[in-house]
Amino acid sequence: MIVDLIPDEDQSAIEDTIVSFLSDVLPVERLRDAANHGGAAETAVWSQLCELGLFGLGLPEEQGGLGLGLPEEALVARALGRKLVSPGVLSQLCAPHLAADEATRDTLISGEARAAFAIADGYVLDGAGTDWVVVFGPGGASLRARGELTLAMTEGGLDHTMTFERIEGGAGTGQPALRIEVLIAAYLVGIAQATTDMAVDYAKTREQFGQPIGAFQAIKHSCADMATRASAADTQTLYAATVFGAGGDDAVEAAAARVLAKRAALDNAKANIQTHGGMGFTAECDAHLFLKRAMVMDMLGSDARARRAALTA
Amino acid sequence: MKIVESAELREFREQCRDWLADNVPKQPRPDDGEPMRDFDLAWQAKQFAGGWAGINWPKEYGGRGASVLEQLIWHEEYALAGGPPSGCMFVSLSHAGPTLIVSGNEEQKARYLPTILNGTENWCQGFSEPGAGSDLASLKTRGEIQGDELVIKGTKIWTTYGQLARWQELLIRTDPGETRHRGLTWVICDMQAPGLEVRPIRTMAGLEHFAQCFYDDVRIPLKNVVGEVNQGWKTAMTTLGFERGTGTVAHQIELATRVDRVIEAVKSAPGGADEAQLEMLAVLKSEVMALRSMTAASISRGLHEAVPGAEGNVVALYFGELTRRVNAAAFDLLGPHSLERSGYDYPAHFLECFKWAIGGGTSEIRRNTIGERVLGLPKGPKAV
Repeated sequence: MIVDLIPDEDQSAIEDTIVSFLSDVLPVERLRDAANHGGAAETAVWSQLCELGLFGLGLPEEQGGLGLGLPEEALVARALGRKLVSPGVLSQLCAPHLAADEATRDTLISGEARAAFAIADGYVLDGAGTDWVVVFGPGGASLRARGELTLAMTEGGLDHTMTFERIEGGAGTGQPALRIEVLIAAYLVGIAQATTDMAVDYAKTREQFGQPIGAFQAIKHSCADMATRASAADTQTLYAATVFGAGGDDAVEAAAARVLAKRAALDNAKANIQTHGGMGFTAECDAHLFLKRAMVMDMLGSDARARRAALTA
Repeated sequence: MKIVESAELREFREQCRDWLADNVPKQPRPDDGEPMRDFDLAWQAKQFAGGWAGINWPKEYGGRGASVLEQLIWHEEYALAGGPPSGCMFVSLSHAGPTLIVSGNEEQKARYLPTILNGTENWCQGFSEPGAGSDLASLKTRGEIQGDELVIKGTKIWTTYGQLARWQELLIRTDPGETRHRGLTWVICDMQAPGLEVRPIRTMAGLEHFAQCFYDDVRIPLKNVVGEVNQGWKTAMTTLGFERGTGTVAHQIELATRVDRVIEAVKSAPGGADEAQLEMLAVLKSEVMALRSMTAASISRGLHEAVPGAEGNVVALYFGELTRRVNAAAFDLLGPHSLERSGYDYPAHFLECFKWAIGGGTSEIRRNTIGERVLGLPKGPKAV
């Protein structure tokens, strides 16, 4: 299949809108304040987020959507990842695709009803104030009313900027959700890119031995490897999004995107901490936020065994 | 981001597929020496006769004049049909020829381009020197102007298939008062000229794919200068705009095929594959898919930009490193049987693949270029 992987004007416009909105309204620095954790910052600007029209982006117009596709949704998901936006916002993009009836779909598109993600056999993430939960089981994803689930708030988890509610009992099975797989990959790509940018910016300004540390090959090559990993994951994710539903093997494309996005996000988040040296180990520096979020986000959706099976079939 | 399909492109694909199915050589390609060179030239002549030679060359110089997307389709079908590497024709088709097209005068174009396309003469490259590898601009081979001739003294190395080539694109220092990129000249060197000795170099893979060239007062007519005297760096760089990322499509597909082959071999081994092996294979499979996507992205950029940027180094770095991982994986996954040099010959592929992270720019130089020209990091210690 021959593809043009460069965003067209409309796609760039969508991306620019969301990127500039998030930079103004939900910068990563917000997470230094515990009052913004658990999706609280997103809740505070929820009506503005709804006005962007993100949640029906990939649904056909007759279903109340904008009639665009997975490539546009992937650009949004990548932008959300760059700012470590609460996964609830990403789940809100996915939930309308899983809605069983028109009324549910409409309220999810408008943002009147809110959704959260849950990790299979695990936890609802940032569930406060939500009505629906996108859950993953052996067969894929499904949309469950929050009220139907038995939930127990935990004291927290690896990522201290999120809340984790334990799901008591299984969450059931669902439909194959390759679309969501691609969007999770895109969010992780956002992390891989943001950490590359952060390390490069620091390498340009931090001086030791009388010069910016980025002039030293040890740092320069690490940054080049970060950019290369991010590029591999990014292009594979956008490729998977672009050819989605066009008759190729969506399961294999999505699995490759997840495998690469995981490695890029985790490896780059770690390299970013290392590039920042002592500062990178502090709570004050944002570097650790990316690592923690990447590790949690990678637990969403399909498990590694299923991806391996798809890729080696 | 969108799928680009059209009836014309589909029809072009059919044309490529049909012609390749009928014409790709069935006999194996000799792996060394004159039999290999003759095979490569014969295959070039066959493509010329079929109207496929110089797929990316302009029509006015006898090429196919294919669009970027048609080139992509050609290379995809070429790889799927098991087309042989361009081998001894690579430099002619991808560097020397394009340089002549962009910077040569009409006389030079008329003399040298047709014999490349029809497979009668092949070229090699004389750029690197023992003391000028990654730091190419420090090259020292002298070209002194005497009357209407250049007199060459010095040595060139890593000349791929140099002992098998008819002509050479030679980069020499004509202004000894200048340093680095200034004072260089790009000239056409006759590989049969008196005073030129070519010694083959045996590689770690056991083959003689390189040579070192020694120039002892080799005389070259001044009319063989391409571009201006002392402007050779500019001439050498003009081909950058020719590269649209399609040249590596065949390598990328070959590597993907290799991964599929290892997956099959591991899974069909007694006892099958365990989860750790499957994870290793899944990662390699994902990586060759990423390479395909990165190549597609490079080609996409070529559709929108006049001259490609330094981003090509990202794909080249990824390809070089991934090729080594893929070819090493067989030994980790298949055990002792992979050591035997019969059948699929894993050792041959493994030993040969080291060149991809060295030739045309080492991985380390590529990381420098990505750091400085893509990411904007400060330059390291200045070259003098």
